[in-house]
Amino acid sequence: MATSSEEVLLVVKRVRQKKQDGALYLMAERVAWAPEGKDRFSVSHLYADIRCQKISPDGKSKIQLQLVLHTGETTNFHFTSESSAMKDRDAAKDLLQQLLPKFKRKANKELEEKNRMLQEDPLLFQLYKDLVVSQVISAEEFWANRVSMNSVDHSLTNSKQEVGISAAFLADVRPQTDGCNGLRYNLTSDIIESIFRTYPAVKQKYGENVPHNLTEKEFWTRFFQSHYFHRDRISTGSQDLFAECGKLDEQGLKSMVGQGVRNSMVDLTSLEDKSLDEGYGISSGPSTSSHNKTLKENSNAAIIKRFNHHSAMVLATGLRKQDAQNEQNGETSSTDGNSKDSDFFQPSVKKVKLQEAIEYADLEQENGRKPVALNLKKSDRYSHGPTPVQCQQYATSQDIINSVNCIRHEIADYTPRLTQVLSSSTASTAIAALSPGGVLMQGGTQQAINQMVPNDTQCELKHLYVAAGELLRHFWSCFPVNTPFLEEKVVKMRSNLERFQVTKLCPFQEKMQRQYLSTNLTGHLEEMLQTAYNKFHAWQTRRMLRKT
Amino acid sequence: MEISLLLQTVQEWKTWTGSCSSAMGVLLSLSSSQTAGMGGGGAVELIDFSVSQVVEELRRLIDFYEKETGERSSFLALALSSRKNLCVHPEVSSLRFGKEVDGKCHSLTASYIRAQRHSDSSVQTCRFYEEFDALGRQVPLPAGIYNLDDLKSFGRRRGWCPYYLARYSILHANVVVYSYHYLLDPKIADLVSKELAKKSVVVFDEAHNIDNVCIDSMSVNITRRTLDRTQSNIETLQNTIQRRLVEGLKEANVARETDVYLSNPVLPDEILQEAVPGSIRSAEHFVGFLKRLLEYLKSRLRVQHVVQESPPQFLKDAFEKVCIDRKPLRFCAERLRSLLRTLEIADIADFSAVTLISNFATLVSTYSKGFTIIIEPFEDRTPSIANPILHFSCMDSSIAIKPVFERFQTVIITSGTLSPLDIYPKILDFRPVTMASFTMTLARACLCPLPRSSSPLFFSSPVFTSFLFLSAVIRNYGNLLLEMSSVVPDGIVAFFTSYQYMENIVASWYEQGILENIQRNKLIFIETQDAAETSMALEKYQEACENGRGAILLSVARGKVSEGIDFVHHFGRAVIMFGVPYVYTQSRLLKARLEYLRDQFQIRENDFLTFDAMRHAAQCVGRVIRGKTDYGLMIFADKRYARADKRGKLPRWIQEHITDSSLNLTIDETEDQLGLSLLTLDQLQSEEMLKKIAQIAHQI
Repeated sequence: MATSSEEVLLVVKRVRQKKQDGALYLMAERVAWAPEGKDRFSVSHLYADIRCQKISPDGKSKIQLQLVLHTGETTNFHFTSESSAMKDRDAAKDLLQQLLPKFKRKANKELEEKNRMLQEDPLLFQLYKDLVVSQVISAEEFWANRVSMNSVDHSLTNSKQEVGISAAFLADVRPQTDGCNGLRYNLTSDIIESIFRTYPAVKQKYGENVPHNLTEKEFWTRFFQSHYFHRDRISTGSQDLFAECGKLDEQGLKSMVGQGVRNSMVDLTSLEDKSLDEGYGISSGPSTSSHNKTLKENSNAAIIKRFNHHSAMVLATGLRKQDAQNEQNGETSSTDGNSKDSDFFQPSVKKVKLQEAIEYADLEQENGRKPVALNLKKSDRYSHGPTPVQCQQYATSQDIINSVNCIRHEIADYTPRLTQVLSSSTASTAIAALSPGGVLMQGGTQQAINQMVPNDTQCELKHLYVAAGELLRHFWSCFPVNTPFLEEKVVKMRSNLERFQVTKLCPFQEKMQRQYLSTNLTGHLEEMLQTAYNKFHAWQTRRMLRKT
Repeated sequence: MEISLLLQTVQEWKTWTGSCSSAMGVLLSLSSSQTAGMGGGGAVELIDFSVSQVVEELRRLIDFYEKETGERSSFLALALSSRKNLCVHPEVSSLRFGKEVDGKCHSLTASYIRAQRHSDSSVQTCRFYEEFDALGRQVPLPAGIYNLDDLKSFGRRRGWCPYYLARYSILHANVVVYSYHYLLDPKIADLVSKELAKKSVVVFDEAHNIDNVCIDSMSVNITRRTLDRTQSNIETLQNTIQRRLVEGLKEANVARETDVYLSNPVLPDEILQEAVPGSIRSAEHFVGFLKRLLEYLKSRLRVQHVVQESPPQFLKDAFEKVCIDRKPLRFCAERLRSLLRTLEIADIADFSAVTLISNFATLVSTYSKGFTIIIEPFEDRTPSIANPILHFSCMDSSIAIKPVFERFQTVIITSGTLSPLDIYPKILDFRPVTMASFTMTLARACLCPLPRSSSPLFFSSPVFTSFLFLSAVIRNYGNLLLEMSSVVPDGIVAFFTSYQYMENIVASWYEQGILENIQRNKLIFIETQDAAETSMALEKYQEACENGRGAILLSVARGKVSEGIDFVHHFGRAVIMFGVPYVYTQSRLLKARLEYLRDQFQIRENDFLTFDAMRHAAQCVGRVIRGKTDYGLMIFADKRYARADKRGKLPRWIQEHITDSSLNLTIDETEDQLGLSLLTLDQLQSEEMLKKIAQIAHQI
């Protein structure tokens, strides 16, 4: 029945989808379902598209498997075989569990990258909404030159950088009550990995006990029941599987404390220079009788301890790799230097910290790096902003050369005719009229525009500008058109521009007219589009000419 | 020159170059124009690390002078610390505790040990000290700036003991930097600071706590354990005396500097110049006397109810019960010293208990005013467990500092948080010549006192009681921290009013799931009562801030962290003060002191409590700002901070930046402020920008 030559890993019969019976196929790269009696897959998902799978709880009458895609769509499969529904489902689940992570990485990386870019750059996100979501251009087009721009430098870092552990990974498994006096914890492979990386002792336990003594499920059930997970509970019995873990942790904490701190600046034990002898002083010190603390206080102290330990461990998971590297470096250097004597080594760290502490950036002579100077070719344009460009015909280079020559000639022949100059009084009135506030300079209504136009319209206009700018950027980047690909693209971009004008710009214009605004807000946009059309037109006619 | 007119001044400033070194800079510039009018200037600091920091700053200053004037200055400045920080002896310096180091050092350098070595070469001595003793005093320390490490390396190079070298060099140094215990505690001052010239200028930096240091140095606590150890001490003494009687006791007349030198706990002018009274002159008699005293103290500790009495009452009772006179009591410390010296006991650490008792005896019989004795049969929190303690508490901080004012012509008291200034002259009992509070130019509004609007007005009086634990308040605090953790980058430091309070809050935050939510944003580290553990947490905290994860440190006002650690730049982008750090007012010691202050200095209880709370609050929040380029948010999360009496007691550099618009903000509003101040921070260098921001803030 399998139409493709793909390798089929698992076939499960009697699986319902949308109330239709059929069979589920797990293949090397995708999961598919075909209705009974047909040889065509009506459902097919690449593994890379699947975000996760969910299964129905054990107690439910329907035995189902749900696939959640990255797009948010879901597909349900209902296992109907009377005898072996559960077994079938578990088989499919287990196989998927193995397969999904392999594909996940690849898909995720790209998606994450795009997601990250969108999140980091609200402008881009808006653009994305304007262009892709409203289907002016397709997502691929949108990403086409962006991802490639970034992929180069990110590929370098991505390969090395490992994702750290969220400090709250235990909080993510918040239990949910399932209605019948029980708690349900949702564990994902990520969380399990986090737990293992943070608490090596648990990993060790896991290795020792699973699957010989306990099933995976039992193991985690016990984990969540243990005092170890509930940090405010104090270990009482030694039967607890995790009692030992707690002890190991405590030892770890102790050894961490024992190691002391490298940075003497934060070493509180050495901070006090001359403490009073025991017995002197007004406070009797921290109550020496720690044994008579109440249980409550003890548990509070335990929480604090465990939080410190937890944070330290989480931090350590991130640093472990670095440390390993550093150690390697350190070893090589120490073999030749051979100066690991703490006494000689210590002061240098201290000295550096001391220097840091007494140096003040603002008191230094030079303020470090000079800021990058803005290199302006036309400073007047920078300070005045873009001036509306008059609609103009493009001059050929020959025209330009001619006119330059012409001006040159005129300048060379220039002779001042001093008899025909303006009288001084006329000149000064002219100057007065032309200076700000003068007769001729009063018409400027430019500042009023941001008061006339309501904020949301302004905002909309801004988005239009950004979107148009993006499209135009795509358009203009096609020139000079020298490959067939670019040719194709430029045509497509032109249609995109037209579509943009129709779907976005025109409604906006109409809205403006309907409202009240006489000012032509979109004039500049239209001009820009027109310029692009002109260019396109010029290019097309030239191409036609060349072809004929 | 003005400087000779300056007498005792109080200053408050938060300069960015370290207030101490700035003060020193002024002094130095004056002293160089005067023709060496000043001898040693005793600059006095609190903490080991800041000692080193001041010395480093001084080094830069001198370097600068040399560069500008082109002359090589003959300036000698050095840091002084305990043996633990200065020892270079390979065995001794590896010991971890100061007491052990001192003890070991004594056992290697005591004069009779060295005398024994002449006859028996198997006796161990310290070669560094021997070298120093032989050669070190001939040539003074070459001019320069010596930090602790410099002293150590110098000592190592020459083979001289840095500790004794430093102590010897105090005599001809221009500037000495050390912890102000060395000057205030009569037990130590006698040893170290006796020889400072009268003309010296004394600068107490970070002096906001100076009254407590004074009081601490004169107070004694005696527990049942102390008495038990005293008992065994006395037995040892007795046995040694009996054994040594056969050999014959001889009084060692000349005390060498290395000898066990128990100094008198009372101030120099209180020490009687008379001969030791006959009743305790012989060793056996003295031991008998000590025994009697011990038995008396034991009987006093057997009380079932709290007793409070003055020293004269105590003396009278002692006389009636066991016939102990006042006079021999006064000589107790002195007599014990000579006894220990005679017996050639090297390890003074073993005899700390009996020393404590004899010091107590001397103190209680010397001062009749300004002290109180409180005997508590149990701790207040645990009334069922007998743990009797005798507190002999000093209530008058002016007693310990008086000799300093009398001896030195110029005393400068300075700190970042001395407000209100006028209370210090009162409690330290001196007449200041100048008082000045300097403001600072901050690049931006740094302050945001945030009383939670939704929290009930939960304090009627500044009393620490259990109704602080209202869960609504706790949740509000938790939400505040949570919100902050999601918007503030890098490090946040939160201060609570006490350990107990913090423990309880942490526990309920854990139950409410607030901590887990905070963990989504940042790692959490918590100060504990154990110094080593806290150090580790601190280091990890800094690591987390450095590698970009961001972290929150929960800490305690009055704790070690709040006193000693700076959270500069990204280590502290926000500091939150939960509640007003009032001292635990139910303590009898405090009550006694408040009473004394009211009667003697006319300081109202409430004023003092508020003053004390606010200086600690300011101390806590002041940890985050270091320089003009640094920035941080200060949040006072308690409505009471908005009241005029509290606000008025904050240092000027904070007060200036509290505007009425920044009071009573809710969390959302705070974030607006926060967004403002954090987003534009780096650009905010000019006054102009500040004004703009203020305008925007008003609009919001």
